[in-house]
Amino acid sequence: MSLTLSVVVCLACGFFLVRLGWSRLGQSFSEHWLVGSLTVGFGLGIFSVVFFLSVVLQETRVIAVDVAALALLMAGFFWRRVPQVPSAVGVRANDGIEPAWLRRLVIGAFVIALCAALYSGVMRTLAYPHGDGWDAFSIWNLHARFLFRGGSNWRDGFTTLLPWSHPDYPLLVPAAVAHFWTYLGYDSPLVPAAIGFLFTFSTAGVLFSSISILRGRTAALLGTTALLATPSFIELGTSQYADVPLSFFYLATIVLLCLHDDRAQDHVSPRAPGLLVLAGIATGFAAWTKNEGQLFLCAIVLARLCILARKRGRPHSRARTGAIFPLLIAIIPMLFLIAGFKHYIAPPGDLFSDLTTTLHKLLDPSRYWAITKWYFKGFFRFGRWWLIPGPVLLTGYYFAAGKEDDDATPQTGLRTSILALTITLAGYFIVYLITPYDIYWHLRFSLSRLFLQLWPSAIFVFFLLVKPTTVRDDLLRAPHPAKP
Amino acid sequence: MHASPTSTQLQGRKTIGIVTFLVGCLLSSARLVHDAPNPRNPPGDIERRSDQRFAVLKTALPARGVVGYIGEPGIPALSDYYLAQYALAPVVIDHSTNHALVVGNFFPQSSPGALPPGLHLIRDFGGGVFLFSNNPFAEEDKR
Repeated sequence: MSLTLSVVVCLACGFFLVRLGWSRLGQSFSEHWLVGSLTVGFGLGIFSVVFFLSVVLQETRVIAVDVAALALLMAGFFWRRVPQVPSAVGVRANDGIEPAWLRRLVIGAFVIALCAALYSGVMRTLAYPHGDGWDAFSIWNLHARFLFRGGSNWRDGFTTLLPWSHPDYPLLVPAAVAHFWTYLGYDSPLVPAAIGFLFTFSTAGVLFSSISILRGRTAALLGTTALLATPSFIELGTSQYADVPLSFFYLATIVLLCLHDDRAQDHVSPRAPGLLVLAGIATGFAAWTKNEGQLFLCAIVLARLCILARKRGRPHSRARTGAIFPLLIAIIPMLFLIAGFKHYIAPPGDLFSDLTTTLHKLLDPSRYWAITKWYFKGFFRFGRWWLIPGPVLLTGYYFAAGKEDDDATPQTGLRTSILALTITLAGYFIVYLITPYDIYWHLRFSLSRLFLQLWPSAIFVFFLLVKPTTVRDDLLRAPHPAKP
Repeated sequence: MHASPTSTQLQGRKTIGIVTFLVGCLLSSARLVHDAPNPRNPPGDIERRSDQRFAVLKTALPARGVVGYIGEPGIPALSDYYLAQYALAPVVIDHSTNHALVVGNFFPQSSPGALPPGLHLIRDFGGGVFLFSNNPFAEEDKR
């Protein structure tokens, strides 16, 4: 009963937050599916923040705080609700006009990939109820236990005596887990296992529905098949690490930015600043999930500023402000939360050593060469694919399908996304350059996970860049018979 | 309506691209299924090495605070230390004997061997789990 209640409250919080930003929801299946998938991650994000604030403020009536938060979100939703208006996003018409056998093949492959991923996810969750790998129990679940079991002394877990548990890591996943445990009254391993499972398949849900909205159903099936058929993504997601939740928020940010800009691009449809606000919240949740998310937050803001500054046609400053201001406003509360955690609770992180050592490492060409080699190798290996690496499959598919016309893509959102992902990847490179650890050890145990964090977003961006997988374009290009 | 030869070629290329893409993906899906673990035979038993192993010791420790730790030497034994901390949270387990209470975590059926001076056995919980007191630090705590 208490578990059911906690799940309902969590999902309701997520749903009303998403619908608060996405007040104009259309009738399409893809839009509803996207809202549903985002609901899971946003609900867990809110659950985490509410629990963390409750323990910081020593408020023991967590359920009362939940009810208050939910009531606030519901009130906001009903206040902003605008029925009978166009959707906040423009959904592409269904594109299922390729040969029937090919359509059946695409659907069949997707179903097989989904079943394989679900089978593997369930088996791994049952086999490893406490997670698979050291980080699950020595970092994420340990922090959750300190938050839940520590009572008023929960800060004991964030001590310099346990540097190996990385007490400076943000708390989205541990605090969400501890929140559910508070409802249950005990620390069941089922909770982090279920959260890992949900994040994994919600990421696939966001990917499917967003590509479906912007590029049609076939591209969505192909993109999601590529993600579900990435063994290490499913394995990492059910290992109870925070990398897949982080990938969820990266993807959510980029998807929401692209959907907003897709709508804004046609200059006719009403703007949907709520999507930009949701993108900002997703960015903030990413920063609250892992330290890499803070790098991504900087990358998104920087990329957005750069792209808007260079935008062709020189839009009015008001339009530019409208394209970034809601994003920044939504990021600020999470920035305060993270800054408070880092300043008052967490000990200093372990990545930054003294300036002289850092400079020495930055000027060492052998480190650049080592990381470049690992990046190159890792690019083909990070998914643990069998025989053909995912990036090779995507590249081959790109040459077969061709590049999408610029007019058909949400240019500002797409360029922001590509630049943000590139800056994030470059940031990871710099972190390896200055790492205080043995560089090969650090690369060996983390590079694949860093690539996986970006993988769902990379697939999304790829399917925006490539032509939709239909014969429609070809038919349109062929001579049309004269209309009677 | 008939497609032009160019569009037919394009369509053929796209079809080959899609089929190759799907075959490549399904190969990896096969790996996912092949590598899925059997839940009845879990290879890494965290529960057994942490919560079950330290269940009795946990009742003998204070509800909070910091206690010391001594275990098998070497990097591979670090996971035992991490699992001890995982089981005994919210008590902080410092990998040092400089505390009034020290948790001993050794291989089952093995004795702690040569202990650092000042450590005295309080209780043997069996299976290689011990609780020691460290007299100089215990007296310091009392003061």
